[in-house]
Amino acid sequence: MRRTDLFGLGFMAPALILTIMFFLAPVVMTGVYSFTNMSTATGISGGAYLISPATIRSLTEQGFQGDAIERLSSESYVVDEAGLEAAEAAGYTPRFIAEIRSTLLGDTFTGRRDFERALKDLSHRPRSIRDLKKATELFQKSVLNVRFETEADFQSALSSLNLNLSPAEAVFLTETAYTGWIWTSANYDRAVNLPSTYRATANSAIYVTFTLAFNVGFGLFLAITTFYLPSGQAAFFRTIWFLPRILPPVLYVLMWKWLTWDTGFLSTLLSHFGVPPHNLMKHTATHAWVVVVLINGFVGASMGMILFSSAIRSIPQSMLHASEVDGANRWQQVRYIILPQLRWPILFTTAYQTLSLLTSFEYILLSTNGGPGSATNVWALYAFKIALNNYGGNLEYGYGAALAMVLVIIGIIASLFYLRLFNFKSMITSPRIEQ
Amino acid sequence: MRIELKNFKKTFGDITVIEDMSLSLESGEMLALLGPSGCGKSTTLFAICGIHRMTGGQLLFGDRDVTLVPSQQRNVGVVFQNYALYPHMNAYENIAFPLMIRKEDRKTIEKKVSEIAALVHIGELMERKPAQLSGGQQQRVALARALVREPDILLLDEPLANLDAKLRLEMRSEIRRIQQQTGITAILVTHDQVEAMSMCDRIAIMNKGDIVQLSSPQDMYQNPNSEFVASFLGNPPIAFLDGVVTDGGVQLASSEALLPLRGQHGLPSSGMPIRLGIRPEHFQPENPLKVTGRISFVETQGREELYDVTLSNGSVLRSIQRQGGGYHLGDEVSWGIAENQILAFDASGARLHMGALA
Ligand SMILES: Nc1ncnc2c1ncn2[C@@H]1O[C@H](COP(=O)(O)OP(=O)(O)OP(=O)(O)O)[C@@H](O)[C@H]1O
Ligand SMILES: [Mg+2]
Repeated sequence: MRRTDLFGLGFMAPALILTIMFFLAPVVMTGVYSFTNMSTATGISGGAYLISPATIRSLTEQGFQGDAIERLSSESYVVDEAGLEAAEAAGYTPRFIAEIRSTLLGDTFTGRRDFERALKDLSHRPRSIRDLKKATELFQKSVLNVRFETEADFQSALSSLNLNLSPAEAVFLTETAYTGWIWTSANYDRAVNLPSTYRATANSAIYVTFTLAFNVGFGLFLAITTFYLPSGQAAFFRTIWFLPRILPPVLYVLMWKWLTWDTGFLSTLLSHFGVPPHNLMKHTATHAWVVVVLINGFVGASMGMILFSSAIRSIPQSMLHASEVDGANRWQQVRYIILPQLRWPILFTTAYQTLSLLTSFEYILLSTNGGPGSATNVWALYAFKIALNNYGGNLEYGYGAALAMVLVIIGIIASLFYLRLFNFKSMITSPRIEQ
Repeated sequence: MRIELKNFKKTFGDITVIEDMSLSLESGEMLALLGPSGCGKSTTLFAICGIHRMTGGQLLFGDRDVTLVPSQQRNVGVVFQNYALYPHMNAYENIAFPLMIRKEDRKTIEKKVSEIAALVHIGELMERKPAQLSGGQQQRVALARALVREPDILLLDEPLANLDAKLRLEMRSEIRRIQQQTGITAILVTHDQVEAMSMCDRIAIMNKGDIVQLSSPQDMYQNPNSEFVASFLGNPPIAFLDGVVTDGGVQLASSEALLPLRGQHGLPSSGMPIRLGIRPEHFQPENPLKVTGRISFVETQGREELYDVTLSNGSVLRSIQRQGGGYHLGDEVSWGIAENQILAFDASGARLHMGALA
């Protein structure tokens, strides 16, 4: 490597490190998480082995039956020396222990009740029922609801149950009993198979298309109309239209809520014309979409307006004069002179906003929160809810990451498409004979 | 078409750029608006084509009063200083634009565009975008666009300012040729006196929003009506000697030297200050009315040589002579002024008309 290259690399290094730390790493981590089944239940560190009633249920669904299920799910208590030693260590009186040994040693009870009853019959039993119940646990031999920290412990416990499982069944049992996270591609299968995924996809498409159309169209409209205003008025209107962008989102959405609530401005106004009050934000899917598109659209339009305005103002004055003496009226001037020269800013805004709209959901979260039903639940919000904000309380990080990954991939494909469209190379090297 | 501008006034807010200006052009005439930067040439042009609204006055195209007609309906062709070609259209589309706006049919447009393209010699460049054209080619496209809809009047705002010296020379005669061929009435805005003199039938010299003189190039050069006009025309420029009128002639300022302008009438009375303008071609070794000075600067201009001669009072006279005079920097010379070619001006800069005594 030449010295200058090293030099350049040296200058690049801080930016490179920052990019890797704050951009690349999260994406890679998301990719990694998307191939796990991490959730609140599994935790993000390791797990233990546990046969719970839920485990039994899923085993049954998988075709486990008969003896094995019986044994896994039954509670059995065996009075043996090991249990007695444990009782001694737990501080039960020697007389009680001796009595158990003499009357019950070698007995097996299925069910805690039976064993408890047997203990109750002993004359040296502890005074408190609680202590008695605790004592039963010391003799418990089943695996149900017992946490094993290592796989070895779990296996040895299983072997004492004599389950007679096939190797495949044994593996499945171990996997099902594991409470920690595991590597899996099930997230993607699940995404493909769930109808709610398609709903979110369709919603995202609606959201991006309409918001984008509104953004760009309204931004253009504002830029062109303010261009023809005297400069003072133009500045005034631009400032007004820029307000949504500088307003804190929560405040901005609150104002929209106030506007659209069933006791809000619109409903109150309409009630004078005999229209029954509705919460326009959530009344019907169409209403919700109109509000969502407008909320986002006004914010996005302000950016388009600024971009387009400066692009229009960079068109030489004499070119507009030339078109006037060439006979073009205002509309023709816009149509033939201004719009064609806004091609790049329009494309740029479209590209940029497609990407940011795909991943943004904060205004939806604050306004309709995906409702009514899941009418406005776009993909990003869907992923957010699954991964980080779930009603059920079980946050599925792995599945959420997989959904986020899909967005990342769509984003990359869209960027590549737009890059091609922009065709930067040909823009840079357009032949110029003389300037 | 005859163009008449009557009592034109233009203000921008508080700034009055043009106070009261009248100007008329004969049909088929090409007139130069010549003047220093900021004197209001472009403003006048923009008023004529309707880009700027006139604050006061009247504008007639032929018999039609167009003062309040928007520029779209004036049928004026304009070539802007930076050409103002539409960068997203190719040469053909640029030229066709005025016709397209007028919704002429495709066939007619094609015919007219190719005719005009042939006239300005750019037939083979029709597919190129403005960015792919050289300055001179862009200029021709702009000219074609201005001419294609057969405007009543053609306005050119410093069309040659962006071109290199050779191209400028070439385009000068091109534009004149096309103007004469089409017989269109034209106004050329320029601050280059050579351009104005070589291309136009008449020149209007402007200063601070006023037309100070309007006449043919030849007359303007020989008979400037003010010191401003005299100094504006001519290259190398005219030189001035300050002095005071005495009985014997003109006593040069802070100097013993007396120019004995005895043969002249029209001199103001004794004691009045006077400025004498002497063009370089009228200060030559062989002329009789001698002044003495030292050569302070020599510039070789190829065929000719330009000398600056500094007189004892510090005034400088210029002389342009054929090569081979054998004079050098620092030489003391005594050259003569052509007496009847002297242009005299009073203290305010107005021309004093003198003539040889009969
Ligand atoms: N829109 C305007 N607002 C205020 N003043 C203006 C405006 N346009 C021109 N002026 C002033 O009017 C005067 C004449 O301007 P104009 O453009 O006509 O000059 P010009 O003769 O064309 O000069 P140049 O040779 O530099 O092009 C200048 O002093 C200029 O500052
Ligand atoms: Mg100008």
